[in-house]
Amino acid sequence: MKETLFLKNTETFAESMIRCGVRCHFAYPITPATDVMKYSAVKLPEYGGRMVQMESELAVSNALAGYACTGKLGAASTSGPGMTLMQEAIGFMAAGDLPCILLDAMRVGPGDGDIIGAQSTYFQATRGGAHGDYRIIVLAPSCGQEIADLMPHGIKLAYKYLTPVLFVVDGVTCQMTESTTFAEPYDYSADFDTSGWAYTGTKDHPKRFLVTGSYTHEQGYEMNERLRKKYAVIREKEQMWEQEQVEDAEVVVVGFGIHGRMCKDLVANFREQGKKVGHIRPVTLWPFPDKAFEKLPASVKSILVVEMNHGQMVDDVRLAVNGKVPVHFLGKTGGDIPMCTLADMSRETGNLLKGA
Amino acid sequence: MHTLADYYGKTFKFDKLFSFCPGCGHGIVTRIVAEAIESMGIREKAMSIVGIGCGGFSHHYKEIDALEAVHGRSPAMALGYKMGLPDNVVFTYQGDGDMSAIGLAELMHAANRGVPITCFMINNSVFGMTGGQMSPTSIVGQVTATTAKGRDAHTHGYPLLVPEMMRAMNGVAYLARETVVDAKSINKAAKSVKNALECQIKGLGFSYVEFIVPCPTGLKMNIADAYKWSSEQALSYFKPQVFKNELEQSSEI
Repeated sequence: MKETLFLKNTETFAESMIRCGVRCHFAYPITPATDVMKYSAVKLPEYGGRMVQMESELAVSNALAGYACTGKLGAASTSGPGMTLMQEAIGFMAAGDLPCILLDAMRVGPGDGDIIGAQSTYFQATRGGAHGDYRIIVLAPSCGQEIADLMPHGIKLAYKYLTPVLFVVDGVTCQMTESTTFAEPYDYSADFDTSGWAYTGTKDHPKRFLVTGSYTHEQGYEMNERLRKKYAVIREKEQMWEQEQVEDAEVVVVGFGIHGRMCKDLVANFREQGKKVGHIRPVTLWPFPDKAFEKLPASVKSILVVEMNHGQMVDDVRLAVNGKVPVHFLGKTGGDIPMCTLADMSRETGNLLKGA
Repeated sequence: MHTLADYYGKTFKFDKLFSFCPGCGHGIVTRIVAEAIESMGIREKAMSIVGIGCGGFSHHYKEIDALEAVHGRSPAMALGYKMGLPDNVVFTYQGDGDMSAIGLAELMHAANRGVPITCFMINNSVFGMTGGQMSPTSIVGQVTATTAKGRDAHTHGYPLLVPEMMRAMNGVAYLARETVVDAKSINKAAKSVKNALECQIKGLGFSYVEFIVPCPTGLKMNIADAYKWSSEQALSYFKPQVFKNELEQSSEI
């Protein structure tokens, strides 16, 4: 039976992961991600699981890697500086083909930064935040309902491709309280047979060992080739985005997360005035939805990218657009209102319409 | 045709050529850990988490599942593994650099948490694989690649007494320092390995054994001198002893 709950979106993340099969959640307190672990500490035991509070985010991600070796679905949640520490084992899990679910409740950086929400970890999330040629799948829900709706898909992607799957949600959206409808609890990880790779002991298989370091240069080459091929398939098959009224648009506004959500109002307002504005909201940040920009109609004269940072996703938009139309940027990070308002977005869009 | 496995069991891979240097203590510790696993009948549920450095090769010689951890993080990975498969027997195998330098925080918290996992530290007082640099357990006066005039306590700090740091932790069920410098010590070390694994199987808590071993290559000595150095210099500071054994309250094997 479906159930509608009125929850903070960090709690929605916790509720979603638990309902969808996560039984072990590793975490360390950090604002604004802490509510995830507070919620899971209470809720997971009801499902026979537990929240494990570790001594650092280094330990969080490495314990998660150890758990993932058993074939079971684990999760970790963090924010800003914690995400930086976790990169060590995220890169390791990418190299070792280990599935897991992660949340970055994005806050202002760099350094210790600020606890207020931001989208400043786009680069870290989408470029592989640790050393080496790797990527992880990055999902960017724009509201509580989308966190719940994307969770089953995220778990399926983690097991299908044996990779960490990272949810990035800006800290502002994380701290909103919304009504979210959850589906009946179902362990999506149980649909996947892990007996072919999990390190469960040699009872059922000859020795298995997970070594991400190479003993010969050829092994290092082979590991990277294997990953390159995997990422090529993901790039081809797993791009997700939402778009509205792009077909005849003169200006297309691009935003993810909360700015993507605001674009709906922006487009509706302009359309009411008979002005041709559309929007594209990337749902997967990696793979970036290049395909959304491949067939832009000839009516599009310019693109506006809005982010809660000083310009990160805009690089990917420019690569996808490849010079076909001018790409403009509007962004803000930090401050009491740590983002561009709808009025800022409308003004900039209006200016571009005049130019168009 | 008979193979060595017919006589000695499946855990230790006699057919695999050692990549450890001649005289290295890792060979001895690797073998006594393998023999403990074999004799305790836990091979099929054993999981080895090795560190980075020469200790990382240890799993090559055992027919059990293995994971090569990120440098220093083996105890955290072992804890996560134990959460997933509580009935399996998981142990870490780390050098003194991996465990007492970069991985000290993970070790201390795993110990204090008292989760039933087992950690083995093979202490040869140097970073072996990278070429004999000072480690936290290099002794005062020891000449290494990064302490050309010998370790000076005022500049480099004192050698770290790792098990001593865990003595007061209630979560620790078995805590010992052993050595492999002579046959009698090897027999005692083998017993400690079994006791540590038994503590885990019985769910008594965290278990730890440190082994003082020679590293002729890292010490830049011939084998005999390296053993002499470990016996006289290293053991004068790192005193072998069983600090804690909660099996004594139940039944020691």
